[in-house]
Amino acid sequence: MVTLTTFAEQGPLPLGPFGLDPAVWAVLRLVIAVALAAGLVFNGALAQIYLERKIQAIIQDRTGPFHVGPWGLLQTFADAIKLLGKEDIRATLTDHWFFLAAPSIVFAPMLASFVVIPFAPGVMGADLNIGLLYLTTLGSMTVLGIVLAGWASNNKYSLIGGLRSAGQLISYEVPQILSLVTVVLVVGSLSLTKIVDAQPGFQINAVVIPLAFVTYFISGLAETNRVPFDLPEAESELVAGFLTEYSGMRWGLFFVAEYGEVTVVSSIVTALWFGGWHGPLTDVHPVIGPVIGVLWFTLKTYFFVLVFMWIRATLPRFRIDQLMSFCWKLLIPVTIVNLMVTAALVLAFPGSLVPVAIANWVLLGLFGASIPFLQRRRLVGLRARLAAREHAVA
Amino acid sequence: MSFGFIESAVFALLVIGMIGAGVGVVLLNRITGAALLMAFTFLCNAGMFVLLGAETIAAFQVLIYVGAITVLILYGVMFTPQRDRPYALFFQRQTPLAALAVVPIALFAIVAAVVSFSFRDNPDAPRGSDLVPLATSVFRDFAFPFEVASVLLLAAMVGAIVLVKREEDS
Repeated sequence: MVTLTTFAEQGPLPLGPFGLDPAVWAVLRLVIAVALAAGLVFNGALAQIYLERKIQAIIQDRTGPFHVGPWGLLQTFADAIKLLGKEDIRATLTDHWFFLAAPSIVFAPMLASFVVIPFAPGVMGADLNIGLLYLTTLGSMTVLGIVLAGWASNNKYSLIGGLRSAGQLISYEVPQILSLVTVVLVVGSLSLTKIVDAQPGFQINAVVIPLAFVTYFISGLAETNRVPFDLPEAESELVAGFLTEYSGMRWGLFFVAEYGEVTVVSSIVTALWFGGWHGPLTDVHPVIGPVIGVLWFTLKTYFFVLVFMWIRATLPRFRIDQLMSFCWKLLIPVTIVNLMVTAALVLAFPGSLVPVAIANWVLLGLFGASIPFLQRRRLVGLRARLAAREHAVA
Repeated sequence: MSFGFIESAVFALLVIGMIGAGVGVVLLNRITGAALLMAFTFLCNAGMFVLLGAETIAAFQVLIYVGAITVLILYGVMFTPQRDRPYALFFQRQTPLAALAVVPIALFAIVAAVVSFSFRDNPDAPRGSDLVPLATSVFRDFAFPFEVASVLLLAAMVGAIVLVKREEDS
């Protein structure tokens, strides 16, 4: 006789509010949650595209979109309608099924990440005990979709873009996970709620382990294919890489997924290093408090989204060998050292985070100070190579 | 109205997905398609783990097998030169022999499973998302086999690098 554990046996079904039948409520809850997540992602993408264009315009001393609506606010809505209305073009020689599947393989894990994001106490899809592991897992699935998109397009530039992205995403996953593990070591839990609860007031993790924050932020930039790590889609060298053959809403889905991932990475940063929903006025009232918590969380998240855009408007793109050597020769050793030092100090001084914080700030200082030194060494090497070549030519 | 049926329905879907994709991996002539279907099998496998209450193992399954190994296989496939080849590979002529070998074993396995196994729910067993028992078993009770396995993987990696290097030199 085969009997499996049923989810129903694990606990009573959630009792429906508004006098609804629990069975109806369970289905309704699912529909509402998915609709909320999808609404959040799509509207967030619209808002972020507008923000991105405006901020880049400000930084580059331009006006940015201003024709449609007040301050050009409706520009992205018009763009979205245009994208939806476009003809669905597919080149004859593309690999039909993979070409269709790739955008959804990129989009679906990003949407599923929103399940565990802790907006406020009680305002989250599910408080998984392994929330952080779940987020990393979903983040690693994006690679598959991008590689497939590059392959299915049957186009050299797209294939190069897809393979570059596979190399880049797999490499930068290592420092990303190592930085996350540092936080887990300090807090002692993988549950995002517990991590947020562990940093009340000014005792946020960014003060305790700033180096892990810096390394995570850099690898988060790489994981979301943002400038300066946007080699897979580099417009000027790869004619948009894996996106070349896509048009209309399929192309739009890739973009929505990218902005959704920026949001996910920013909210991970917010929850893990900047105290999540904590802020003034969050415990004034049992109902209004969580709303203010959501507000704080959103504000902090969007601050980091803005930092992403600021970086995009400021930094030039990496070359592929610089990208790889930066990850393997600098970022991974730094995160490993950071992880080991943190682990040793957490074991040596249980109950006190001061030694960890001191060690982390010192390491961060060393990391920052080493960059000009490394840069000078690299330049010396380059000059030596140039001189050798000139010598050989002469 | 109860939700007892949902678990069986999910189980059935996962089984259909897993077996269907597995058959596809073996029978498909296009190797990229086979690799993708293999990823799908891994995903269904992760779903099984979730169904059994082992969320951590499911997460690692997706992280390692779907996120890393499938991508590496796809990478390998894309870098392998693909020539036109006959539809039936030489070993596919042995299909009847293989069927003769597989069918009795499969029947025996199914009968044995139905007769003897039962997945009893042990309430004292740690739940799948409980990380402390998992960590104790990996890093304390089975620390030595764990380390041996990692040394083995390291040896395999070094071996692979040596093989590639030798090819480059010649």
